[in-house]
Amino acid sequence: MTIVKDKVGIVSCSGEDLPEGTISRIATRIVLEKLRPDDTVTICLPLFLAGSQDERAFARAFPTIAVDGCSKKCAEVGTQKYSGRPVATIVVSEIMKRHPHLKAKSRDNLGDEEKELVSIIAEEIAKKVDEVLGIKKKSGASN
Amino acid sequence: MSAEERKVAIVACAGMDKALGSVARACAFKVVQDLKPKESVLVCIPPLIIGVNSHSEWINKYPVVTIDGCAERCATKIVAEKRGKIRGRVFIPNGVKKHGLKPETSAEIGPEGEELAEKIADETALLIDKILRK
Repeated sequence: MTIVKDKVGIVSCSGEDLPEGTISRIATRIVLEKLRPDDTVTICLPLFLAGSQDERAFARAFPTIAVDGCSKKCAEVGTQKYSGRPVATIVVSEIMKRHPHLKAKSRDNLGDEEKELVSIIAEEIAKKVDEVLGIKKKSGASN
Repeated sequence: MSAEERKVAIVACAGMDKALGSVARACAFKVVQDLKPKESVLVCIPPLIIGVNSHSEWINKYPVVTIDGCAERCATKIVAEKRGKIRGRVFIPNGVKKHGLKPETSAEIGPEGEELAEKIADETALLIDKILRK
């Protein structure tokens, strides 16, 4: 017998345009590998957008969190277009406004400030994962 | 052809699933930032799909080089679907075989992954020269 545990799909901006894209991507990996490895899976955005039925089916069946680097919100828009609205969206550039002393400068070589931002974003994603799974459990109990 | 027109659009896999996606991404940065900053523009796949104008315009205006990280070849598929003019294709797994270098993980490609990205970036720069000479 296989027990399917609730999972949250993380759809991260993989943007090469801005440092915020790199921050999204690395923060997502930290959540997947270190903070919530049992509760999350990644959905590869290029593969998802290129038409992978597996990725799209997962995003239809399980809740997703979009992690976007900037206000274009490509991960949120793409997920909504092909599978369904994400249950939550985290926008790195919005969170950065709460930490004006931390600047994102490089797209490929992250310095100390960018690494601190990565940690902050990763914690935000993990918190959102807990909320999503908690909400799901509560609504399941009430039915 | 004016200097502004003599450019190649680079569309790279930025896949998070595999280390080779991260190598593709690192390779693209080396090309557009270090090796061919005046002759290339980096097209970001997500905005291309959701229809951000500048990205769609670039793949129609300039010859495109796609850099794919795995056999799914998402970058190539997406550019073909958007009717971009693909003039060159780089396939990272071929570079792995050719150079015998193995990246570590998606999050951290490690020294061999960096070296691999550099070598493939050098080859991509030569490809750009060839395309622009035509």
